[in-house]
Amino acid sequence: MSQSWRKWTRILLAGPGAVLVALVVMAGMPLWLPGGAAGVDNLVLPLVLVPLIWAALFFHACLDRRLSRVAAIAATLFLFHAGLVAHKLLVQRSAFEEHRS
Amino acid sequence: MIHLKKDETKLMVAVHGWSGIVLGLLLYAVIFTGMAAVFAEEIGIWSAGHVETRSAFERPMDGSIRRLAAQTPAKYHEGVDLFEIGDHNLGAFFHRHETDPDGTLVSRGIYYQLDRKGDVAKALHGTGEEVFGPRNDDALSSFLVDTHVRLHVPNPWGLLLTGIVGLVMLVAAISGLLIHRHLFKDIFTLRRSASPVLVDRDRHSVAGTWSLPFAFILAFTGSFFSFFGTIGVPIVAMAAFGGDVQALNDAVFGNPGRPDPRPATMGNMDRIAADAIRRTGEVPTFITIENFGRADAKVTSFHPPKAGDIEPVTLLYDGAQAKFLHTKPSIGTQPSAGGTLAAIMAPMHFGNFAGMLSKAVWFALGFAMCYVTFTGLRLWLARRREDMRSLEWLDRTVMVVGFGLPFALVCSAAAFLIAMPLGSATYWTPAAFLIASGVAILGGTTAPSVAALGRALQFATGLVLAGLVPLRWISGGPGWGRAIEAGQPIIAALDLAFLLAGIWMVWRAAALPARRLPFPARPVPAE
Repeated sequence: MSQSWRKWTRILLAGPGAVLVALVVMAGMPLWLPGGAAGVDNLVLPLVLVPLIWAALFFHACLDRRLSRVAAIAATLFLFHAGLVAHKLLVQRSAFEEHRS
Repeated sequence: MIHLKKDETKLMVAVHGWSGIVLGLLLYAVIFTGMAAVFAEEIGIWSAGHVETRSAFERPMDGSIRRLAAQTPAKYHEGVDLFEIGDHNLGAFFHRHETDPDGTLVSRGIYYQLDRKGDVAKALHGTGEEVFGPRNDDALSSFLVDTHVRLHVPNPWGLLLTGIVGLVMLVAAISGLLIHRHLFKDIFTLRRSASPVLVDRDRHSVAGTWSLPFAFILAFTGSFFSFFGTIGVPIVAMAAFGGDVQALNDAVFGNPGRPDPRPATMGNMDRIAADAIRRTGEVPTFITIENFGRADAKVTSFHPPKAGDIEPVTLLYDGAQAKFLHTKPSIGTQPSAGGTLAAIMAPMHFGNFAGMLSKAVWFALGFAMCYVTFTGLRLWLARRREDMRSLEWLDRTVMVVGFGLPFALVCSAAAFLIAMPLGSATYWTPAAFLIASGVAILGGTTAPSVAALGRALQFATGLVLAGLVPLRWISGGPGWGRAIEAGQPIIAALDLAFLLAGIWMVWRAAALPARRLPFPARPVPAE
């Protein structure tokens, strides 16, 4: 892999990549985090923590020497949370259509 | 101490520098106005000459609320927000929640502004976004807060912009920590006899290192507030409630219970307010009533944190019977990690958890952050000065923003003091800011040197700052004796602070040799 390609991949992962993954993680976290005593932790913690999640992804993309590891972690987080959100939306949609019919 | 490899340190130095240079001027504007906004409430009292010390919630308000409810359509009884406006007068927003055609959840209703006698001084119809804006007597503090929160860019873009600025600050703070090879040594290193460049760098490093935890907290909480409503809530509502924002609000902030729409006479609000003050020892900052005039009416009073605590206090009352139910967390129905964390975000950002002391600390650390941002920009330029002479325009821009912003703010304060008695402060406060900004920009293009520009702006800022005090007296503001007698020593304290700061700035600008103001002669080698 050329130096230039590595540099641009890193910039993409640290820039738009980190933003995208942080937003998807925020969307997916309410679906697996426990609600806690008040039943709101799963809703509130993603909202509070999203700047820190973004910062962690940004600095990981900047500092990890192994670019493949950066991409793998970002992709895993993205796919896991995007999958949870997609599943939830599909369930909601089918329930809505069932209700309508 | 964090030890990075040489190339990683180099990368972090680049990230630290570029994060500052790309949005550094906006960051400086947000931090500077945030620093001043720490005392927004006190500046509001000082500028408008408010001498009333009894809160609207300590004076009878029940009769006024009942009268307003009787003249308000029942559809707006879904929610009533009560808060203080002006010189401890009451503001009441009767509203209901609606979804706009574009899918945005809004509160629509009637906002009543009451006068000292409890009569309606003004009634505004519309959504919260439409009716809440600056008034003649709080135009200055509103202007300060609005500049800090969204840089006067319309929502949601303004909030998104300041949120991105917050993230930039987070990056600058973390990368600043990572590039310190000798953190503890750097905290105390000030080489006074070194070259001007090294002296400047040491000052930047010392101020930055001491305020590092503060910068992290401010950036984290600030970006949370900016992104919370604009991005966070819609995304979480989409994922957890199929896009129903009201359902998310009810789950997080609501008071669950079986609906009981039977009409019922409301309990006495004066009794509720007195009981809330007795239980917490603090006057409410805000009171909300859900389902006014129904059997299931609930009253929630919000109070500042108790002494020694950082989490605000919230009390819940049965509205129909004016009966205390229980102390509740600000978020959720029971104490929880997420609720507590979210509840302390505001006190941590505003620094208002321990009265004047915490506000003073937040102000001082905010000043240190302004200094760090400004000197950081100048150091970045200094390192490239010999290689890139074409950066002269950026150098002038940094100076125009760095010293022009304080100049424009004190000019807007002066305009407020003149315009408020004439009833035109909402127009002239921002107008004066824009005119003064124009003057600073013009100075930036015509000044013979960057040093002369900086000195002129500092001199003018000091002059206007010191002049605010006689201006306030001339425009009819209360004198020190009257203010202290009325229990508002903050008016005299701010007068004195502005006077001393103004004289110090004039003296400093006059004494400053033009060559020192500040440009380093040689580039600094990278660490």
